[in-house]
Amino acid sequence: MKERTQTIKAVFGEDIVRLAIILLFIIVMSIASPYFLTVRNMMNILQNISLQGITAIGMTMVIITGGIDISVGGVCAFTAWVAASIMKGGTHWVLACLCGVGIAVLCGAINAFSVGVMKIPPMIASLAMMNMTRGLQTVISGGSTLSGLPEGFQVIGQGSLFDVIPIPAIIIVVLYVLAAWFMNRTVLGRSIYAVGGNPEAARVAGIKNTRVLFFAYIMCSVFACIAGLVFVSRTNSAPSTLANNLEMKAIMAAVIGGTSVTFGGKGKIMGTFLGIIIVGLMTNALDLLGVSAYYQQFIQGLMVLFVVFLEAIRSNRAAKRA
Amino acid sequence: MSFSGNKVLDNVNFQLRQGEVHSLMGANGAGKSTLIKILNGIYQAVSGNIEVDGRAVQIKNPKDAERLGLAFVHQELNVCNDMTVAENMYIGNWIRNSMGFYDRKGTSRKAGELLRIMGVDLDPDMPVRRLRTAEKQIIEILKTLTQDAKVVILDEPTSSLNEKEKENFFGIMRRMKENGVSIIFISHFLEDVLTLSDRVTVLKDGVNNGVFTAGNYTKDDLVVAMMGRKIDSDETKPPKIAQNAKTVLEVEGLCSQKKFNNVSLKVQEGDIVGVCGLLGAGKTEIARAIFGLDEFQSGKIILNGEEIKKPRPDLMIEKKVALLTEERKQEGFVPLLSIRENESLSVMKEMASRFGVIDRKRQEQFAEDISKRMTVKMSGIEQQVVSLSGGNQQKVVIAKCLASGPKLFLLDEPTRGVDVYAKSEIYKILRQAAEEGTAILIFSSELEELLANCSKIIILKKGNVTGVVETKELTKNKLLSMIG
Repeated sequence: MKERTQTIKAVFGEDIVRLAIILLFIIVMSIASPYFLTVRNMMNILQNISLQGITAIGMTMVIITGGIDISVGGVCAFTAWVAASIMKGGTHWVLACLCGVGIAVLCGAINAFSVGVMKIPPMIASLAMMNMTRGLQTVISGGSTLSGLPEGFQVIGQGSLFDVIPIPAIIIVVLYVLAAWFMNRTVLGRSIYAVGGNPEAARVAGIKNTRVLFFAYIMCSVFACIAGLVFVSRTNSAPSTLANNLEMKAIMAAVIGGTSVTFGGKGKIMGTFLGIIIVGLMTNALDLLGVSAYYQQFIQGLMVLFVVFLEAIRSNRAAKRA
Repeated sequence: MSFSGNKVLDNVNFQLRQGEVHSLMGANGAGKSTLIKILNGIYQAVSGNIEVDGRAVQIKNPKDAERLGLAFVHQELNVCNDMTVAENMYIGNWIRNSMGFYDRKGTSRKAGELLRIMGVDLDPDMPVRRLRTAEKQIIEILKTLTQDAKVVILDEPTSSLNEKEKENFFGIMRRMKENGVSIIFISHFLEDVLTLSDRVTVLKDGVNNGVFTAGNYTKDDLVVAMMGRKIDSDETKPPKIAQNAKTVLEVEGLCSQKKFNNVSLKVQEGDIVGVCGLLGAGKTEIARAIFGLDEFQSGKIILNGEEIKKPRPDLMIEKKVALLTEERKQEGFVPLLSIRENESLSVMKEMASRFGVIDRKRQEQFAEDISKRMTVKMSGIEQQVVSLSGGNQQKVVIAKCLASGPKLFLLDEPTRGVDVYAKSEIYKILRQAAEEGTAILIFSSELEELLANCSKIIILKKGNVTGVVETKELTKNKLLSMIG
């Protein structure tokens, strides 16, 4: 029993603030709207956060290395568009998706090369990649929207298990569990923490820092690509504005989740998951309450500030106690 | 000024007279930093009071401390690298002209005067980036004078100074005293304390364990007061090496532009060899080059008979070489990770399955065992390394290095900022490793350390090896004259 409480503490110890916010949300909203606490609505929330949520996994990894990747929006849009247009051209959709993933790997590798080998600040390196990918996507899309994708492909975003659990919801949960396990239990995952926490110490300990960075940035792009494919499949369309502002939303989820952008080595995949749940709950709540989209963005910003303030108060206190 | 507190500190009284150098000593965790943090207003005392010039005062935050004329010089340097010496000395209090704008010439002139008075040979207009660490530290100390500090608190100011720079530094201290400034001097270096202090207060486990007045005590008295026992000096004997011992490392004519020249050295298994030189002699650079952290232009590194053309840290670890770097905080450990993870950082792979999944049980067992062997004082292996005291942090870093079972262990300043007791424990660990056959190369500017542990010492001067001497034939003074 003691061991069990310790595990619970190890998993959620730092997430008390986030769990409390989620609980508060659920209590208040279930009073405010009878529709809120239904299975359908919960699944709806998971489905709605899939684009941002899947991207945030890779973003968290990159931020933990001490970097940042603002090209995820561009990479997501470009790779998803390429995949969508290839499958529209008659190629099997699985092959088309793999094409998209392949391009994502390349984008991530270029980012990692800039950061790890050329030592360019991550913000600048990924800014360049963001413009490149956005530019190419605009060229091939010509500002138009692509729709009418193969039915097999549409299942990914629109299908559901037992007619209850939508596949995107399954994908996001599975990816988070896998990524959290990976980051906590594998050599590569722990190396990401070591490289972010103290690159010199990691190097002295024989960790190949550049390789670790390559992995993190490539994963970040790949997750962005997967997120884009799921989204395109769900809406059966690839609009030219696909994944606008996605980078900021992914960073927001990671930050609400307790990942530190000021120094590397601090953050948790499950923290980001809670972060993304908070964002999802809030968006859903505002929708149900009929708040206009214009106000929603403002309220989201306010929310970020609120959470990071609470987090800062908590960690400052902890620092004083130590 | 007097002060008495509680708990971490139990009823500690401390008194500082005008124009006095009062040293504060104690093992890691004895409460020195807590006392200092209370004076700085970072912590508040539960009970007791602080008086300045006979008046009771409240120090609630660092601003209060500043107003009362208390100035702190921390181990970590807080200089602005891209500003000049003068600008750094007068930071925040720059001289203004009649229009109220920053007066560059005036600031430089006043800084120049102060540098002259203090006997420091530095150009006030030089950017601080170009200074060496020791010089930056002097700038930090002079900064306190421009702020009209009455009391200057120095935390381990001599740890990165070589013998010559220490002389210089002691001169500055004496001139500050003459100007009526009182100094609290915190240090692990018995010799420095002995030379400099008018009085010494020793803390042990949060209580005042003795006040000594200059001339009335010996080094041993201080050690006994700090540790509650004498350090057995018989323990320190140079290692004996077997006659048929193999050569583990051979360096031939290693050159790196502007850092070192034609360096050759040899270490056998089971031997402890020292590399001695002043700051800037190239010790760190050579250690880093051998381990593959920095590049070198020419020369050979031969490990167990095999030439390593292009060393890389990961390759060297595979070949059973470990390096303890000079800067513990910057290069030694990952602060947010636990003791468990830091100790196993370089051997994670060996504890993982083919797919890279770490065997947690094995890792825990490993960390428990090695922590015990290293006598790390901790609440458990899940504690973050950053929350340990300096000496224990260093033990964790050494544990990390020994984890891979090195055949060759390079150590760069292995006991900087570590108390006397932890030091002797670290030496014990090293000697034990040597007995088990590890070849050890210690790069250090601490002469006693080298004399006590090494069989021979390689003398390094401005990047050149100028001699190799058997330790038996050496005294501290002789060694000092050889490196200077």
